[in-house]
Amino acid sequence: MSSNIYKNKKPLIFFLAPAFAFMLIFLYYPFVKNIFNSFCDIRGLGTAARGLNTPWYANYSRMLSDENMRTALINTLIMILVTIVGQVGIALLLAILVDNVKHGAKFFRVVFFFPIVISATALGLLFNLIFLYDKGMINQLLGAMGVGKLTDWKDETHALITMMIPVTWQYVGFYFIILVTGLNNISEELYEAAAIDGATRFQRVRFITLPLLYNVICTCIILAVTGALKVFDLPWVMFPKGIPFGKTWLTGTYMYYQVFNATDVDYSSAISVLIVVLGVILSKAVNKIFKERDY
Amino acid sequence: MKKKMAAAALACVMAVSLAACGGNEQSENDTTSKSETDKETGKEEKKGAEKKTGGVELNVTTTFAGNDTNAQNYKDAAGKWQDDTGNTINDTSATSDETFKARVAADFEVGSEPDVLFYFNGMDSNSFVEAGKVISIDDIRKEYPEYADNMKDELMGASPVDNVNYSVPVNGYWEGMFVNKSVLEEAGVDVPNADTSWDDFMGICQKVKDAGYTPIAASLAQIPHYWFEFTIYNHLAPDTHAVLPEKVDDEHGKAWVAGLEDMKEMYEKGFFPENTLSGTDDETFQSFIDGKAAFLVDGSWKVGGIEEATDDVDNFTVTYVPAKGERKATDIIGGLSSGYYITKKAWDDPDKREAAVSFIEYMTSDEMVSKFALTSATALKDGAKVDEKELSGLGKAGLEMVNNITGISDAVQDQIPTECRVPIFDGMPNIVTGKVKIPDAVTEVLTMIEDYQPEDAKK
Amino acid sequence: MKKRRISFGQVAAFLFLSLWALTTIYPIIWVMINSFKDKKIIVSDSFSLPSGAKFSMANYKLAFERLDVLGAYRNSLIISFSVAVVVILLAGMASYALVRYTFRGRDFLNALVIAGMMFPVFATIIPVFQLMSKWGIVNTSDLWKSLLATALPQIAGNMSFAIVVLSGYIKGLPIELEESAYMEGANIFQIFGKVVMPLSKPSFATVGIFSFLWSYNDLFTQSFMLRGNQYGITRLLNELTSREGTNYGLMAAAVTLVVIPILIVYIFLQKYIIKGMTAGAIKG
Repeated sequence: MSSNIYKNKKPLIFFLAPAFAFMLIFLYYPFVKNIFNSFCDIRGLGTAARGLNTPWYANYSRMLSDENMRTALINTLIMILVTIVGQVGIALLLAILVDNVKHGAKFFRVVFFFPIVISATALGLLFNLIFLYDKGMINQLLGAMGVGKLTDWKDETHALITMMIPVTWQYVGFYFIILVTGLNNISEELYEAAAIDGATRFQRVRFITLPLLYNVICTCIILAVTGALKVFDLPWVMFPKGIPFGKTWLTGTYMYYQVFNATDVDYSSAISVLIVVLGVILSKAVNKIFKERDY
Repeated sequence: MKKKMAAAALACVMAVSLAACGGNEQSENDTTSKSETDKETGKEEKKGAEKKTGGVELNVTTTFAGNDTNAQNYKDAAGKWQDDTGNTINDTSATSDETFKARVAADFEVGSEPDVLFYFNGMDSNSFVEAGKVISIDDIRKEYPEYADNMKDELMGASPVDNVNYSVPVNGYWEGMFVNKSVLEEAGVDVPNADTSWDDFMGICQKVKDAGYTPIAASLAQIPHYWFEFTIYNHLAPDTHAVLPEKVDDEHGKAWVAGLEDMKEMYEKGFFPENTLSGTDDETFQSFIDGKAAFLVDGSWKVGGIEEATDDVDNFTVTYVPAKGERKATDIIGGLSSGYYITKKAWDDPDKREAAVSFIEYMTSDEMVSKFALTSATALKDGAKVDEKELSGLGKAGLEMVNNITGISDAVQDQIPTECRVPIFDGMPNIVTGKVKIPDAVTEVLTMIEDYQPEDAKK
Repeated sequence: MKKRRISFGQVAAFLFLSLWALTTIYPIIWVMINSFKDKKIIVSDSFSLPSGAKFSMANYKLAFERLDVLGAYRNSLIISFSVAVVVILLAGMASYALVRYTFRGRDFLNALVIAGMMFPVFATIIPVFQLMSKWGIVNTSDLWKSLLATALPQIAGNMSFAIVVLSGYIKGLPIELEESAYMEGANIFQIFGKVVMPLSKPSFATVGIFSFLWSYNDLFTQSFMLRGNQYGITRLLNELTSREGTNYGLMAAAVTLVVIPILIVYIFLQKYIIKGMTAGAIKG
């Protein structure tokens, strides 16, 4: 992949230094401190540590036995899969479709962006109203259609699905835009050449679009994985504290809960370390699966 | 690249023109620049060495901000004080949420805390009280003997760290039972009053349920706090309530278990909403407003909340939570949970010390407290003077209730560190459905509390 | 692309897209409609139009008269705009180097970048706050210092994401263009400036809009660094809407106010992405 231009490594530092300097100061150094914090005992966010935990790895052993943590991990794994298929999948479909329709492409591009812009609190309110037990939009519709008993969309059997739908829906636009940007890079001529050769639209998509989008799709999946590990604002507004019965915990919401509700800041630091480690491992795995191809 | 330049230029122009507009509207900006010049005059004043006030810049943080009813009162009062004394206030108040609490704690840590702080006087203040960064009322009184002498000392809200008063309260809170009158009418029952016993109350709830309404609006998933307090209170008395049990089978521990059993019973009888284990507090509150539920136990701040949420305020009233055992219905839960602190940082500076004391005395005068407190509790020796004409029907009911109490106790949950509350608050659904046995849950909390305190913490 | 007849596939595609578009437009419209209703009826009557008696400007009046909304907009725009620009530049450079050069430690740096994306903001905010306090730019009454203090952590926070996206994009650029520029005697910096950057415009626009958006909506950092009367628009509106129980009317108005500038910026930048499209189809 490298050519002669890039044999001389001297300009390298110049390009890398500023960005990494920022990240070093504002991200890595604080996070190292955060790792240290996970071994200490901290009560409230912002207060000083009160010395090391006893034993110093207490938070980590707690993570192993914490039932909520287990639920959170399982739910988050499910979330990751749903995100990949649902968010990236739908976004891919939308991007390809938009690329192929004649009219309204610009309109769709603008409109699909909307959900990301609205704050989680407002979206949470909207979805709460839709799924409301009493007089919520869905139950109202069901009632009008003659269904007898109202379903509590937030009870144990439904909660997980009710949570995943809005969260998945919100960020489809995000991947959509990234994919569209990638699509634009595929030159028109390739399509024209294929058309002349008699390829159907389907075949064009399969043999030109998808392969050339390969790297971008890989990027999207990495973003999706890391996003699912971190997401907390929308799930929190709809399902605070993992109700019902702690069934809807995600790694992101559980960590947030530990900082602000249970004020067990050191435990949340340990959870965030876990999230980072998981994130790096999973994205490396994705990279391996999607070995980069040179087109 | 050119287009990008154009875009950047356009954005800059936009920003600058907004700045021009913004500049005209911001009188706040003037205050900051004014305070710069005041600092100069302040320095000159210091050389004067007399006890002159004027030209001092005071950093003040309070929780009176945003949509708090008292935010406007605070702004007006602070403005008037500045005019009267010639000092200026650099105000960094903000609405109190978890981010704000983190910010205050962080400020103390890095040494950029304010001079005067109006903040919670319970567990949230422990970090800076323990670090000795605020001055106790006794120490203040060594220099200013009349400081806060219009307040009852025992009500001022001593710190949980060492039981010493550090802050001067303004308005407190009470907890009572709000009632939707029309629902009770439909069910054919009367509004409970001070003489209604607990058993009567259970009967009333049953009738309400039979008439097709939800008796009690509460989200056990999100906010079980109020019923937790009162059901336990019903097994204790005002002077024994706000004490943490040491063991699950001592007097207080037994009361906790019994109280939680009562809650479980109410749940099993179906007195709570059907989706109480998954619904939110906003939802249950709305059902109360909409006339689907009869009773709502909440704090005095809800008076304003109800007034804003409905056009028909007169349909609502507030009364005592029915009692049993030693507790009378007129023994309520309430207290003063925030107060004005003076930080050591300000105290060590003679001019700031003077200004801070003057400011706090101004904000905690009988008049001022009455204005802020309205229907909620105060620590004033002479009681608050409230103009009843200003109150709505609901407000008047609240005032009447407060004026006729026979006993008041702090909420015992304020003494439980937040992390330790998890098994009984977040775990409430498990308790009422029987997934977790009540004595086990209580024991868990007590163990957590014990582990929470390092052995040398209690002085 | 030269077919004239409308095929079934086209219709189906169009339908699907429109369906999805409905789901995305509806929430915004819903929020805006509700911002014109009095808050009492929002929860009980949320899916109806505010016509006649239901219409009320009360929420907006409340928002505008209480606090300085325009000033807050200005502050937010300054912060978010600078964050976006700095991120684009620095991440652009770093991505370019990470993609084109092979060197020892490249994998390590890539892993670091991914790790950086995972850090939650409350894990890093306190040490950052203490650091900036030592530099003397926090908790001052100087507006510019506070804006700076807000922007710096946000730049870092968005950097990882930007590098990931830009790397993916640059990887896909045909290296021939750079090689031919090299043949013509350009040095690295010129290659970067004259070849890579223009080609990456669409990706830059994408990264820019998202950095802008996330900085704009970042309530936590704003609440921490901006004090007193220094408001960012998100913080301002959060203050207005937080109280015992949610004031839904005010919140709907607040969301509408917050959202409008972003949409304008996006529509503006969106044209860019399209322009980038035609520019991307370069012949060798």
